Amino acid sequence: MKRFLGLVVPLTAVLGWGLWGADTLKIAFPASDLNTLDPHYAAATNDRAIVDMIFNGLVRYSPGDITEFEPDLAESWETSEDGRVWTFHLRPGVWVHPYPGNPEGYELTSEDVVFSLAKAADPTSSAYAGEYTGMAFEAVDRYTVRIVLDRPLSPVLFLPKVADYAGGFIVPKAAYEALGDGFRTHPVGTGPFVFKEYLPTQKVVLVRNDRYFRGPPKLAGVEVWYVPDVNACLNGLITGELHVIEGVREQAWVKQVKGLPGLVVDVFGPGETEVLHFNMSKAPLDDLRVRQAIAYAISRDELIAFIGPDIAERQCAVVPPYLAGGLSCEEVAQAGLLYEVNLERARQLLAEAGCPEGFSLDCYITERASYRKPFENVQAQLARVGIKLNITVVDHSSYHSLIRQDANPIVHYECWRPNADVFLTRFYHSDSIVVTGAKPDTNFSHTTFIDDLIEAARYTLDPELQACIWKTAQLRLLQEMSSYPLYISKFVYARSEKVDYGYELKSSLALYPQVNELTELR
Amino acid sequence: MTKGHRIRSRRVRAFLRNRTAVVGAVVAILVAAIAVLAPVVSPHDPLEQDVYHRLAPPGGEHPLGTDDFGRDVLTRIIHGARVSLTVGVFSVLLAMGLGTFLGLAAGYFRGGVELVVMRVVDVLMAFPVLVMGLLVMAILGTGLGKLIVAIGVVLAPRFARLAYGAAVSVRETEFVDAARALGAGPWRILLRHILPNVFGEILVMGTLWTATAIRIEANLSFIGLGVSPPTPTWGNMIREGVNWIVVAPWLPVFPGLAILITVLAFNMVGDGLRDAVDPRLQT
Amino acid sequence: MWAYIARRVLVAIPTLLAVYTLVFLFVRVAPGDPAVAALGDYASKEAVEALRQEMGLTDPLWVQYLRSLLGYLKGDLGRSLINRLPVSRQVAAALPYTLELTFAGILLGALIGIPTGVLTALRRNRLPDYLGRTLSLVGLSIPAFYLGILLMIAFSIKLRWFPVMGGGNLSSPADNLRHLALPALSLGIIMTSYVTRMTRSSVLNVLQEDYVRTARAKGLRERAVTYSHVLRNALIPIASVVGVYSVVLIGDSVMTEVVFSRPGLGKLMVGAMLQRDYIALQSLILIYAGFVILINLLTDLSYGLIDPRVRYD
Repeated sequence: MKRFLGLVVPLTAVLGWGLWGADTLKIAFPASDLNTLDPHYAAATNDRAIVDMIFNGLVRYSPGDITEFEPDLAESWETSEDGRVWTFHLRPGVWVHPYPGNPEGYELTSEDVVFSLAKAADPTSSAYAGEYTGMAFEAVDRYTVRIVLDRPLSPVLFLPKVADYAGGFIVPKAAYEALGDGFRTHPVGTGPFVFKEYLPTQKVVLVRNDRYFRGPPKLAGVEVWYVPDVNACLNGLITGELHVIEGVREQAWVKQVKGLPGLVVDVFGPGETEVLHFNMSKAPLDDLRVRQAIAYAISRDELIAFIGPDIAERQCAVVPPYLAGGLSCEEVAQAGLLYEVNLERARQLLAEAGCPEGFSLDCYITERASYRKPFENVQAQLARVGIKLNITVVDHSSYHSLIRQDANPIVHYECWRPNADVFLTRFYHSDSIVVTGAKPDTNFSHTTFIDDLIEAARYTLDPELQACIWKTAQLRLLQEMSSYPLYISKFVYARSEKVDYGYELKSSLALYPQVNELTELR
Repeated sequence: MTKGHRIRSRRVRAFLRNRTAVVGAVVAILVAAIAVLAPVVSPHDPLEQDVYHRLAPPGGEHPLGTDDFGRDVLTRIIHGARVSLTVGVFSVLLAMGLGTFLGLAAGYFRGGVELVVMRVVDVLMAFPVLVMGLLVMAILGTGLGKLIVAIGVVLAPRFARLAYGAAVSVRETEFVDAARALGAGPWRILLRHILPNVFGEILVMGTLWTATAIRIEANLSFIGLGVSPPTPTWGNMIREGVNWIVVAPWLPVFPGLAILITVLAFNMVGDGLRDAVDPRLQT
Repeated sequence: MWAYIARRVLVAIPTLLAVYTLVFLFVRVAPGDPAVAALGDYASKEAVEALRQEMGLTDPLWVQYLRSLLGYLKGDLGRSLINRLPVSRQVAAALPYTLELTFAGILLGALIGIPTGVLTALRRNRLPDYLGRTLSLVGLSIPAFYLGILLMIAFSIKLRWFPVMGGGNLSSPADNLRHLALPALSLGIIMTSYVTRMTRSSVLNVLQEDYVRTARAKGLRERAVTYSHVLRNALIPIASVVGVYSVVLIGDSVMTEVVFSRPGLGKLMVGAMLQRDYIALQSLILIYAGFVILINLLTDLSYGLIDPRVRYD
């Protein structure tokens, strides 16, 4: 044995030497491959993470803290009195990355910005076109862009559209036109890192942008790895093959990783909402008493104990309290709509509704752990009052297709949305009703009774009044128990202690820790 | 005593002399008994969650610890035996019935039946077993019945080939001619005269494929295409357990051992049966 | 024999066509939508519809069927629905990883399995035989993914000798080998079990042949008999069917790739399945099917090389 070890140790030392370049950050996501790196389509967290390093918006959420906006490509901006005209003054000297056919790159101007916004507004070249209807874009001069709105919007609703998220990322015109369809796997932007290489199902390689307008990044480059198995990600982090990984949003996992030498776990906001939507158009959930019975049968505290109190936070209304117009649990409690667990009450309501023995429901759920596991806990909780959920597990995309075909009586939906308007419109406006709505979207509950409130709030410029209308709408939803908010789950990322993001990570709009010019490996 | 009886009792004796095979049989019977008696022998309810006591280490009230929902691991392994054996046995019975029937028919009737059946068999045999299993489960979705059908469909062509070969080699022999001359119908000939000739081999293959079917089930469950939760299966217990390797390494290890022991037992029995049926192929 | 080969190849064409048809229908019956998979849950219904159209999923089924088929006839595997890259490029990138794993597994299996098999046969019913038989039975029974996990716990997480994920850099042999070690060991252990059993029964068969008995009767020393007669005659069939095991091991190699996150064909296929990438999926399954058919053909041919009595008619 000794002789064997004597042979192996120097051997591994030799093989291990020079394995990775000093300053390349390796970050892994539990995904099998990228979907698209066109920022106006990118939706998966792993795609957004890459896009975020390559592109900029006109304004940006402060790194690590989404409660504030700061200049990005635009040095400054102003809005007209009536809130209809927004003018942005671009930072001169912003350089577009080199791309095939243009090894030097070029200076970004208002022409690119207008092109990019128009692309984001065009349903044939953007998944977010709906957010940009009723807007006109115009290049006033080389460094000035003007956006004119049909109807005025408050900053809360407008600025996210031009921030470093989704349609707000600025795509340089000439680069996009030169690459055509290839742009989705060869993104070209202005950000701190330049796309270098994509190895399908393996990784995307980015290198430092020495001409970045905030100064050259400290890292030599970034590699984004696709490792579908969370456990393999963790093992890679343990062995030092990876520096940052997306973790499992469960306290036990956090505890396990925190116990390992050299590793740090970040749990940060804002977090995604976890909500159960009840299909009110079909028996037995068309009966208010049945929906309330389900709400009374579920203990948020048990769910939170399962997920872990550091990761899961009580959520009592559909818009989370950290957004303008969100409701805190105290406010909901004051309105008497908390639905704290009460099995007696649940059984009594079921009896009144004519099903004292309970009933059974067939539901699909995605294999994705952050949906499936809490749903399994809900299943066990509901079993206590005789409600039997028969779960069929499907893959994530099948789940999203099936629930949009109205296949589930109860839909568990996990998401983050940039503001209250998007939450309420897409989940509770009658136009958004799945299958039958005017613009079928994600109204799984078939809610029809808050359309007027949603529309009124959207065009209210006074922020306080706007928030007040949004809150009223949510209390209506709770009265009718169209959906039951469970908890907010925060994001969990683990990293090697060598990684310094370069900013304090409190909340990241991007749902992942952003890597920027200040990030370094020590 | 007829010749058939003599052969049979000689085979039984040969099997019983094979220590490995007997050990395998005892273990397999034990696992089957545990599966049948699961509700009686398990210490807890396999579905009862206790999230306040999750990932408890082995010992005390939970001999093999608890999983991430606070469910008793031993209980879930015991109940997992039900799924593994049900899938293993019934998918093979399905494959055996379907495959043997089609193979015999193809070999005996020849002509169009042969052409169609054997072409289908060729096509299905071109799929690697696991690839076919993945594909079928991806379409059908999860569930016990679907799992049985998926694995049954995957394995059926293997039995069809075996039965086909036997039927072809026997159909021209004198005793089949004699039976035909005595006015026996084709099905009677197939069942009374041809099937018994291959029955031993089919049984051997069935036992060995049961071992494989249990393994395939574990593979599919591990990828997440098995039985829906909260039903425990060994494969998905490993799948879930792997996430807790550092704090709770026993979670993937114990169900894996259960798979290994069960599959091993069926392989031992299969080997013993093969030696008994065909001493020439003694391994 | 050439006529036989020609006929087998001709038969393979309708088989492949049937495989394609089956897979084509299967994947399109499956629930799930590649456009939804690609755009995620935030995308609007219009965006999904637009993308479906762009992906060609709104065309009638028979148009889609013929489009892919014509592509295959021209040797074009199509473009992935998800990242729009040619599937052939992805396959070319993944193939080396799968081939090296398969090859290393077979090599390890042969290097360990053949001597072990010979030893167990020559020491029949003694301790080495029992040990070898029991261990090889264990190797046949252990699921590849479980073996991979156990090796990973021991050698990567506890001992930190080997990396746990990825396939390594192909242009750097040292890095590549480090990544190959554990997956190859995992597959090699399973392969060893198959080869040991196969070798053992092959040697036992030869030992019962008349010429061996004659040689012994002539008074040749046991060792001479073993080497000159038994091994030579037993090894030919073993060597020729070792390739067959690459078919048997496809499932195990897919699982090994998944467990170790190796960027091979198997991982590509499971990924395509999860992302509903119809085009990539059907092409990959066709490749696997073609491989199975090819190996089966080679195997049947090799029987003839070993045993001239086999006639191809």
